[in-house]
Amino acid sequence: MTLRITRLTKSFGAQIALQGVDLAVAYGEVHALVGQNGSGKSTLIKVLSGYHQPDPGAEAELAGRPFQLGSAHAATAAGLRFVHQDLALVLQLSILDNVMLGRTYPLGLGGRIRSRVAAERVRGYLHQVGVDADVRLPVASLSPAERSAVAIARALSDTGAERLLLVLDEPTAALPSDDVSRLLDAVRRLREEGHGILLVSHHLGEVLDIADHITVLRDGRVAASVRRSEVNQRGLTELIVGHSLVPAEVVSHGQRLAGLAQEPVLRIRNLRGGRMTCLDLDVLPGEIVGVAGITGSGRESLASLITGGLPHQGQVEVAGTMLRPGQPHRVLAAGAAGVPGERARLGVFPNLSVRTNMTISLLDRHRRLGRIDRRGERGEILDWIERLGIVTQGPDAPIQSLSGGNQQKVLVARALRTRPKLLVLDDPTQGIDIGARAQIHEVVQRCAADGIGILLISTDSDELAGLADRILILAGGRCARVLRRGPAVTAKLIDVSQLEASPEPALAGLSASSEGEP
Amino acid sequence: MNAMTATPVEQARTAARSRYFRLPGLRRFSAVYLWAAFLILFGWLQFHLFFTVSTFQVVFSQSAVTAVLALAFLVPLTADTYDLSIGEMMSLTIVVINWLTLHTRLPIGVVALLTVLMCAVIGAISGFVVVKLRVNSLIATLGMSEVLSSVQLYISQDHQVAGSFSNLFVDVGNDKVLGIPYLDLYMIAIALVLWFVLEQTPLGRRMFAVGGNRDAARLAGISADRIIWGSLIASAAIASLAGVMYTAQVGAYTSDIGQGYLFPALAAVFFGASQLSQRPNVWGTLIAYFALAFGIQGLTLQFGAGAFWVSPLFQGVALIGAVAIASSRGALGGGGDSRAFRRLFRLRVAASKASDQR
Repeated sequence: MTLRITRLTKSFGAQIALQGVDLAVAYGEVHALVGQNGSGKSTLIKVLSGYHQPDPGAEAELAGRPFQLGSAHAATAAGLRFVHQDLALVLQLSILDNVMLGRTYPLGLGGRIRSRVAAERVRGYLHQVGVDADVRLPVASLSPAERSAVAIARALSDTGAERLLLVLDEPTAALPSDDVSRLLDAVRRLREEGHGILLVSHHLGEVLDIADHITVLRDGRVAASVRRSEVNQRGLTELIVGHSLVPAEVVSHGQRLAGLAQEPVLRIRNLRGGRMTCLDLDVLPGEIVGVAGITGSGRESLASLITGGLPHQGQVEVAGTMLRPGQPHRVLAAGAAGVPGERARLGVFPNLSVRTNMTISLLDRHRRLGRIDRRGERGEILDWIERLGIVTQGPDAPIQSLSGGNQQKVLVARALRTRPKLLVLDDPTQGIDIGARAQIHEVVQRCAADGIGILLISTDSDELAGLADRILILAGGRCARVLRRGPAVTAKLIDVSQLEASPEPALAGLSASSEGEP
Repeated sequence: MNAMTATPVEQARTAARSRYFRLPGLRRFSAVYLWAAFLILFGWLQFHLFFTVSTFQVVFSQSAVTAVLALAFLVPLTADTYDLSIGEMMSLTIVVINWLTLHTRLPIGVVALLTVLMCAVIGAISGFVVVKLRVNSLIATLGMSEVLSSVQLYISQDHQVAGSFSNLFVDVGNDKVLGIPYLDLYMIAIALVLWFVLEQTPLGRRMFAVGGNRDAARLAGISADRIIWGSLIASAAIASLAGVMYTAQVGAYTSDIGQGYLFPALAAVFFGASQLSQRPNVWGTLIAYFALAFGIQGLTLQFGAGAFWVSPLFQGVALIGAVAIASSRGALGGGGDSRAFRRLFRLRVAASKASDQR
């Protein structure tokens, strides 16, 4: 055994993220770390990489030499290398410079960089991970898989021949499906060279494809640590979710809600763009349609594709109006309002007050003689503050003074006051407190009762199980499965469906090439 | 539910009302206090020189042009766009008006109008470069500034250009009513219009929204590109008006006007952005500008005619100090300290590439 961690506990205040976790990874093996969101995977990686301090009592050793957990320097010195999900590459710089970033260049006379020597060296590292590219090309010109490979090459680069323990955090999450197998090949090659690899992944298909050993985290504890040969996909899913699977009443993709004569408020045909490869979807007035899917499934692109944040291909029709790609103001005019997923980046105007944040997308209602009638505006805002129970010092308080949940309610109010026919919610309760979450759920149900069609895109399976009439499970940019509301549809089932729907790399390669995905 | 929520809303109502009765805070009104401090300090040091009607008239009449230039810079800044070409835009106006009065028989009013329109068109070109070619506004307008400077040199052949103006036009630039120079009245008129647009209309709201978070603004249905484009046209036109005012006041073109006016304008806008509503705003800009102007006037009187070095020193310190205050308060753009500075110096090209990655 090479990397051995024992009795690792990490708590944040009263909340325990990791409890007595033991982990052992050997050189020459791929060890997969799996678990649901919130199971403690990322906390574990962050403790390993020295970002978090563990609680006292944890021990770690690599190749028999103990090292201190919670120190980035100690981890690197011991021989741990990390490739994080966002890769941390500088796109404008060449492959060479990216690999040498933070390392010492081979220097010649007068401190000149000996480019040819450096390039030769970097080419060697790239070869190890199976990439053959001109090292002078900017990283921006590479495919996503090649970028991941460059990041891995960088992790390998500052050691020489020594064996390393590589931690790959969701290396395939951002990859188009046909690139995944190429990256996995690179991982296999590293294993053959004798490096140890700790692979964090959501995709059970690829885990089962490549791992020698699998450790399952659940609620901060090690639920199981098994050899690959001891589990199959179903067994692994059960270990992750933590109960025996209930057979579900599953409606296959393509079957519609029958008997409703209403025209849909949202009709999507053959939607492509972002991570979406092909999606058909209808939302009827008063219907709550949930959308789930692991990262990389296309779920994260859907809201932007509809509301115009990303240009789409295919047909998107809101209440009879065909939307043109990438024009958010026409989307609003057509009767669709959205609550964006990343609140800080896409939703909130940090320099404006609660009132101005709320009214910004529709100001004409309070327009008198060309100016904004602030009294009328304030009156309406007080009404919304009351209706949604927004906790604020007043309508003119800076938006930044509100808690995340209350900022989110402001965004919900911004969407609702345009009187939409369709409401697109992208992870509306992510990172907000339980009280605000319940209030937003109540609002969503009231809106549906009023006949607004609701598209609820969420990573929160409890939320989907509680609210949605129909849940689409996305995988590989298309709808893999539809769950109809019923007693059998529980959060667990939604979790399981998402994991099972993740495409196997071998198959994904085929389907993606037939799609001709960019 | 009503009984439950009524109380906090009532509290919110009173809280909103009590806002108006707050005493002027040291921070939000620091420019006013600074102004007062200068008056007291130099009044005490130089009572007979400083506290005279003529000192006030000199400061106010000399300052109107630069104050209008500051307002020109303010307009695109609300949408987080920088227009550094305003200084050269102003001096281009001056040389063109002088040249046209020398070489054509057009009445001065028509000449002025044509020149302002020409500058608006140049502003539209800057807007095209920023919006369509996706060049960072700092770079685009800096480049435009050099181009405009070259046009001036070509027209003037690097000589003074002194046009011939009617007495009426000279009066327009130099007369006073009740001791107030006309120029200040124009300045106040422009300020009033801008205040109305920026603070009272939906357009102004949208400009600040674009300045605060462009992506969110787009998703909220605002045409951010059109707003940025329009703000650059407006800043060019207002800078040109400052040029018209200068010509009416002073007359001839010399090649050293232009960039020298840009800096005090910037300092005033950034200092002003830390005042009052603590974002770029019209009255804060004017108050900040005149506080600085009185400080310079006082120092000049104190150190005599040899103190030509006072003004740039003072402006430089004021600009850095003001941006430091504004940044720590988050008044510039969206975020705190580092973000505001990044906004100042980042390339949009790089930023858009990074966002493609996401």
